[in-house]
Amino acid sequence: MGYEDSVRRLLVPAMAFAVVAALLVFAPNPARAFGDIGAFDPRVLLTGAQTSAARATAPGRWSWELIQRTSAPARLRPSTVRADDAAITDGPFVYWSGEAAVAPLTSSEVAGLRRFFALGGVMLVDDAAPQDDGAPGAFGRSARAQLARVLPSAAPISIAADNVVFRTFYLLRRAEGRIAGPKTLDAIVRGGAVEVIFSSHDLGGALARGATGVWEMPVVPGGDAQRERAIRLAVNVAMYVLCSNYKDDQVHAPFLMRRRALNPIP
Amino acid sequence: MLDLPSTHLATTSDLPQWAVVLACVLGAASFLMLLVEMRRRERGGALIAITGLLALVALLTAVLRPVKIAARESVVGARVVVLGDTSRSMALKSDDAKTRREVRDLAIAAVAKQASNARLVVLGFGDGAPVPLDSSATTRDPDATARTPRSDLAAALRALAATADERPAAIVVVSDGRLDDPPEEASEDSLRALTESLRLPIHTIATTRDAPADASIRRVAAAGAAVAHVPMALRVEIGCAGGLACNELTVTAKELREEGPPAVLASGLAHVKDGKAVVDLTVTLERAGPRILDIAITPPSGDTIPENDRRFVTFNVARERVRVLHVAGRPTNDTRALRQWLKSDASVDVVAFFILRTPSDTPGASQDDLALIPFPVDELFSEHLPSFDAVVLQDFDAQPYGLERHLPALAKYVETGGGLIMVGGPNSFVAGGYAGTPLARVLPVALDGSPGATAADTGAFAPAYNEQGRAAPLLSPLRALLGDELPSMPGANVLGDVRPGGVVLWTHPTRTTKSGAKMPVLAVGDEGNGRAIALGVDGGWLLQFSALGARTAGRGHGALWDGLLGWLMRDPRFEPAQMEIVGGCTAGLASTLRVRLLPATPETKAETIKLDVMRIDEQGEKPVHVERPRPTDATEIDVPLPPLAAGGYAARLRIGTGPATRRDFACEVGGDEWADSRPDGDRLRAIAKATGGTFAWASDGATLPLPKPTVVSAERHVMPIAPPWTWALIAALAVGVHWVARRRSGLA
Repeated sequence: MGYEDSVRRLLVPAMAFAVVAALLVFAPNPARAFGDIGAFDPRVLLTGAQTSAARATAPGRWSWELIQRTSAPARLRPSTVRADDAAITDGPFVYWSGEAAVAPLTSSEVAGLRRFFALGGVMLVDDAAPQDDGAPGAFGRSARAQLARVLPSAAPISIAADNVVFRTFYLLRRAEGRIAGPKTLDAIVRGGAVEVIFSSHDLGGALARGATGVWEMPVVPGGDAQRERAIRLAVNVAMYVLCSNYKDDQVHAPFLMRRRALNPIP
Repeated sequence: MLDLPSTHLATTSDLPQWAVVLACVLGAASFLMLLVEMRRRERGGALIAITGLLALVALLTAVLRPVKIAARESVVGARVVVLGDTSRSMALKSDDAKTRREVRDLAIAAVAKQASNARLVVLGFGDGAPVPLDSSATTRDPDATARTPRSDLAAALRALAATADERPAAIVVVSDGRLDDPPEEASEDSLRALTESLRLPIHTIATTRDAPADASIRRVAAAGAAVAHVPMALRVEIGCAGGLACNELTVTAKELREEGPPAVLASGLAHVKDGKAVVDLTVTLERAGPRILDIAITPPSGDTIPENDRRFVTFNVARERVRVLHVAGRPTNDTRALRQWLKSDASVDVVAFFILRTPSDTPGASQDDLALIPFPVDELFSEHLPSFDAVVLQDFDAQPYGLERHLPALAKYVETGGGLIMVGGPNSFVAGGYAGTPLARVLPVALDGSPGATAADTGAFAPAYNEQGRAAPLLSPLRALLGDELPSMPGANVLGDVRPGGVVLWTHPTRTTKSGAKMPVLAVGDEGNGRAIALGVDGGWLLQFSALGARTAGRGHGALWDGLLGWLMRDPRFEPAQMEIVGGCTAGLASTLRVRLLPATPETKAETIKLDVMRIDEQGEKPVHVERPRPTDATEIDVPLPPLAAGGYAARLRIGTGPATRRDFACEVGGDEWADSRPDGDRLRAIAKATGGTFAWASDGATLPLPKPTVVSAERHVMPIAPPWTWALIAALAVGVHWVARRRSGLA
């Protein structure tokens, strides 16, 4: 190894350093916090005596997964909002979860939620304690009853893999969460837009992950593979909130049909 | 009017007319009876007859008692209105070397000579009410009285009937017969109805018998309205007259474009039969707004009027649906709100591409498990770009997705009439790598491309309206909802000073540009024929989801975008001014551009109005430039334009330093009036026949049956020739003499 080789060895990292330094110095300063206001915020909806989401760490993990997997920005520290708070209309999404039956909504809570939906808001109702056969548990049944008061003219319908929620980012064949549950989701659809999604799969249970990096809840019966599919469903819900029915556009149709044909839904 | 003294005899005024007649009849009957009676006479026949006649005359005179009337009388000529055709077709040649206008003037002079006792009022008819026809004007300009773009006889007659002036006793129309109204196929009843309220005959004089040797485009008709991107059927009617040999003529339709030579949209072959042909062409106009088509035929040899081989037709191309390309760099609440607004409007056709995954993202799935498609940047920004009315770049970084190489095309798209909106975000404007690119040239604000340039200000703020923002029609829907209030934004893209042709509507309350001006947050501007908007925030969705949004049921977001997209698409609701060419534009003649402005505000009163009229189809021709202060007390001003050559023109009006309002128009040499150069004597003949008038050819010098003048006595003196007793005495003596003569002749 001669002198020239030594110089070359030093020169290459030096030049690389210089390039990086130049980029850092001359590149436009990044817009740091600017843009966060429009990020996906899985706002936890609280009603009655509720003080937190059924799976407290799930919303933050949901945001983290969204950021890692997609270009969408998300809030790693999601906010909470009460149904009767004026701030209910500060964002287009709320996440309502629980294990026990919820208390009947007060008139101000009903009014707040009506304002939220009137602006075009979307809600995910996540039943954290569904029955073993996949039927809604106490929370799911009571939440449906209360939302029937908020949106009396609309009844939930079943939505399956042909709905845009199942293809907003991932091509999903069925709904899954901490438990396998039913293949479909229920939803209140008005004017072609999904306003409320009912999950009887404990989606938050599959997302919940402690500070130590350990998943808080076991996913049954599919284990990690099922958890991955549950996370994908959560990502799809977030992308539906941010893009609405973008994947229903005609331009996507031939691509998605081809991929569906390669992986037919059983 | 003639004023003449006169003296004449009359019967006494206390006798009714019937008594006079009766007396005369009785006198005549008596004389006849006398003649019959004379057969029985024995002698003296002549004496009896003479004395009898004298006695009868004396008796009649005694009854009638004649008087002498001395009077001053006036002869008032009948009011005859001569309507001379002043339309452009009268500038065409007539049967001889003269023009139809010259023949018209000679015919009018002949009528005036014939009707020396009539009160002749010579008016010109063309477009609307008739106006005095000043033949002396032709000494300065031969065609001064043959310039109106229409020949509407019906409108002129209606105006005559409606006027408070003395009703004419007759109307004489002098024309070539090629009238707009009544039309060629008008029935006799409708022709009769022309003078229904006037109730008088129309005499007609035809200036021209023979059609000139001419092939022309007689009519261009579109089936329905012109809609952007939608094929439109054009029916082109060709005429060939005057013995010209026309078999097959090629017809082409071209669109005049500023950015280059006219684009051929369609062509066809016209098979001429019996002097007529019809060609159906299908054209598709891609851009909305006023568009000028050049329809032309290839004329046969011997065509004497080349000016009508080509027609410029202006179509106001509407948008059935505004076609918008919405490209977003990442999905956010702002992306969602804009997409939902665009999709909610049935008149907007959205093609959207959102970047859902960047190269650094790890979806943890195979491509087949993802619902992602490639971003077809090359296809979109080269092949399909002209088909869009507007492009929205929302928080989109040009570099990673290969948009950089298409920025020149995107800039040209704006310059040639497209619309662009750049919406803020951490990947937009300076951060998106647009500074110093061709696209920056068409944005309404400058972008700092220097090393270390700050891309964004992350301090929260509420944008503020400036005076232009408060006065801007495009923000009036939003201000109607929220007044001056706007939601607080979490930050803004750093934008530079407004560029020429741009106007700032919202500003940052604290941050300033290099020049010291308040930093623009929302600015609009034009470049070339297109328009661009810079919105340097990504919190527009807060007009929907916020306390402010809740107060207005979220309508603020839609109101903002309704104005922004509407302005970009030149929706008249959001234009600062409207323009129209009064009475159309005829090549070689001065015309008038009428400008209607919004009411001036205290801040806009001192602004200057700049008008530039540029040729569309001929590059390099010097534009007409007019500059004048904005009127403080008027919202409508007429701007005289100098004579323009035949072709397509774009008038751009700029008020102050704001964006320009554009109006396209065409100037033609002959226009509709020369489209069909054939005279139509038969129509004039039919008008005369239906109204009870007389038809004549000008070349025949025929006499028209004009009404006689009226005699009016101004002063009258009645003097008896003799007292009544004198007449009675004479009658008694005459009867006595006759009685003696009868006795001596053996009659009783």
